[in-house]
Amino acid sequence: MKKSIWLLAVPLCLFFLYAVPGALAGDTIKVGIVDCYSGPPSTYTNDVRDAFQLAVDNINAQGGILGKKVEFTTRDSKFKVNIGLSAAKELIMREDVDILMGTINSALALAISNLAQEEKIPFFATFSKSAKITGEAGHRYVFSLTENTAMAGKAAASGLAKHPFVKYWIAGDDYEYGHAIANGVWSNLKKIKPEVKLLGESWWKVGEPDFTPYITAILSAKPDAVIIATGGRDCVPFLKAAKATGFNKKVPFFMHTATELATLKPLGPDAPEGVIGTSNYFFYYPKTKANQQFVKDFRKAYNRYPAVGAVYGYMAGQFFKKAFEKAGEVDTEKFIDAIEGMTVETPVGKVTMRAYDHQAMLPMFMGVTKKVPQYDFLIAGDIITIPAQDVMPSIESIQKARGE
Amino acid sequence: MTANITWAAFSQQILVGLSKTTILFIVSSGLSLVLGVLRIPNVFHGSLYMIGAFIAYSAAMVLGGSPLGFWVALVVAPLGVALISLIVERGLFCRLYEREHLMLLLFTFAFMLVFGDLVKLVWGSDYRSLSAPPILQGYFSIFGLPFPRYNAFLLLIGPLVAFGLWFLTNKTKIGKISRAAAVDREMVGAVGINVSWVFAAVFIIGCFLAGLGGALVAPTQNITQGMDHAIIIEAFLIVIIGGLGNIWGALLGALIFGLTDSIGILVWPQFAIVFPYIAVVVVLMFRPQGLLKSVW
Repeated sequence: MKKSIWLLAVPLCLFFLYAVPGALAGDTIKVGIVDCYSGPPSTYTNDVRDAFQLAVDNINAQGGILGKKVEFTTRDSKFKVNIGLSAAKELIMREDVDILMGTINSALALAISNLAQEEKIPFFATFSKSAKITGEAGHRYVFSLTENTAMAGKAAASGLAKHPFVKYWIAGDDYEYGHAIANGVWSNLKKIKPEVKLLGESWWKVGEPDFTPYITAILSAKPDAVIIATGGRDCVPFLKAAKATGFNKKVPFFMHTATELATLKPLGPDAPEGVIGTSNYFFYYPKTKANQQFVKDFRKAYNRYPAVGAVYGYMAGQFFKKAFEKAGEVDTEKFIDAIEGMTVETPVGKVTMRAYDHQAMLPMFMGVTKKVPQYDFLIAGDIITIPAQDVMPSIESIQKARGE
Repeated sequence: MTANITWAAFSQQILVGLSKTTILFIVSSGLSLVLGVLRIPNVFHGSLYMIGAFIAYSAAMVLGGSPLGFWVALVVAPLGVALISLIVERGLFCRLYEREHLMLLLFTFAFMLVFGDLVKLVWGSDYRSLSAPPILQGYFSIFGLPFPRYNAFLLLIGPLVAFGLWFLTNKTKIGKISRAAAVDREMVGAVGINVSWVFAAVFIIGCFLAGLGGALVAPTQNITQGMDHAIIIEAFLIVIIGGLGNIWGALLGALIFGLTDSIGILVWPQFAIVFPYIAVVVVLMFRPQGLLKSVW
C-alpha cells in the first residue's frame, strides 16, 4: 500500500513540475521588444512601443487572442548590438517570449534575426531600414513591418523620374543607411531614365552638426536636383541649413524622411518648403476613417500626434491577433503559416505580409513640404501614393540575392 | 575631383569654414582655459555645451518664440551653464584638485554621463530646434553663392570673444593671477591669494564659454542628445594641436580644423570627413607638443 502511494507521487510531482508552469504560461501570449530607448533614436522607437501598447490594450479589452491576454516587455538596447542581442536572449530564456520585436539598429536587427532562426522564435523588425533583413538574410522566422532602403529607393526613383532633372548630385551619411538609400534611388533611377548623370557625391559623418559647407559646395556644382541620403537626427540640421542657404529655392532636392513628423515638428515654421520626401505614414494622410480613428485613439492615450513608427507598432498587434486566431492555437509554426500572405486592415489601408520574403507590403507616400495654417509646423502636401506592389523589390531580385 | 572648384566657391567655403571656426574656438578656448589653469581635462565640457543649447531653446520658448527670445537665450544660456558649473565646482571639484589626473579624468567623465541622462530627464528625447531671429534669417549672395546671414553674425562674434578673452587674461587682475596660478600654484597661494576662488572663477569662465558656444550653435543645429560627444572630441583635438592650455593655440587649432573641414568638402567631397583629422595627424607629427607653447 505504502509503495503504491509513492509510485503515485512520482507522476504527480512530474505533473506539477512540467504541466503547471506550462499551464501558467498558457494564459498569456508574451511579446518581447528590444529597441533603443535611450539617446536620439528614441524619438522614433517610443512611437512603435506606444502604438503597440495601444493595439495590445485594444486586444486585451476585447478578450485577448484565443482567450489569452497579450503581455509585452521591453529592453533597452542602447543602440548597441551586444547589449541588444543579450537582451533578446534573456527575453527568450527567462521571459519565455513567444514573439520578438524591435530595433531601429540594422546591425542589431540582423543579429536578432539570426538568433530567432536558431531559436525558432518569430522576430518582427519594426524600424530597421536594412533591405538585407527580408532580402539576402531573410528566413522563415524573420518579418519586416517597415519599409527598407530598397523600397524607399524604388519609390523615390519612380517619383523623381517624373521630373525633368538630368544632372544629379548625391550626398549623404557615410554609413550603411546612407549608401543603401543612395544606391537604391540611383540604380532604380538609372533603369527608368538612362540619361541621368551623376555630377558628384558628398559623404558626411553621421551626426554632422553643420551642413552649410556641404550645401555651398554642392550649389557651386550647379546640379538640376540633389538626392540627400541622410536619416534620423541629421535630417533636422540639414533642413535648417537648407533653409538658411536658400538651398530649397535654388535646387530641388529629395530626402527620404524629410516629410516625417519627427523631422518637421521640431523645426516648426523654420522648415524649408518644397523639399521632396517619402514616408509610410502621416497622421493627416491617408484621409480615411481608419486613420482618423487611429489618430484620435493615439492622441487620447499619449496626447501627441502619431508619427510613422506608430503604424509599425500598431500593425504588429493587428497581425499577431489575426494570425494566432487563424492558426487556432499558440504554435510558432502554425502562426508563421497563418501570417504568410495575410492581409490586415491598418491605418494606411490594407497591408499584406508577402509570403515569399515576409516583408509587409506598405504603400509609400511621396510629398512636398508645405506650410499650412492648421499646424505650427510644415506638413507634406501634394501627396502621391505609390502603391506597395510598385515599391516592393521583385521576388527574382531577392532570390538572386539569396543565391537561390 | 569635380569641376566645381572655382575661386568663388573657394572663397565661399573659406567664409563658411571661418564661421564654423567661431563655434569651435569658443568651445575649445573654454576647455583650454580650464585645462591650462586647473589642469583638469574637463570631459563634460561638451555636456555643458549641449546644456547651453537646451537652455537657449527653453529660454526662447518661454518667451513664446518671439524675435527677442533668441537674444535673451544668448544671455541666459551661458549664465545658466555658469551657474551649474559654479555648483559643481564649489560642491565637488574644489575638493579634488590635489588628486591625480586620472581621478579627475574619471570624475569629469562620470559627469558627462550624468549630465547626458539629466538632459534626457529634463528635456526628453525629442529633437528641438531654435529659430534665429528674423534679422539673421536668410542669406547674402556672395560671388553668386549663398552665405547665410547667421554665419555672418558668427563671423562678427568670433573676434569679439577672442578680444574679450585676451582682455580678460592680460588686462584684468583675475586673468593675471590665473596665469600665475597656472605656472606655479603654490607660489600664488604663498603670496596670500585665495587660489581656490581663482580656480572657481576660471572654471566658471571656461564653462560659460561652453554654454555660449551651445547657445550660438542652437539656431544652426538639431538640439539633441549626443551633441556633447561630437563636440568634445573635436574640442580636445583642437586643444591638443594648439598647445595644451594656450587660448591662442585653441584659436589656431580651431582655424585649422574649421578650414580644412570646409575646404575638404569642396575639393574631395567623398572623403571630406578625414581632412581635419589628417591635419591633426600632420600637426602632431611635426609638433607633438602642439603648435603654440603649452602651459603644462
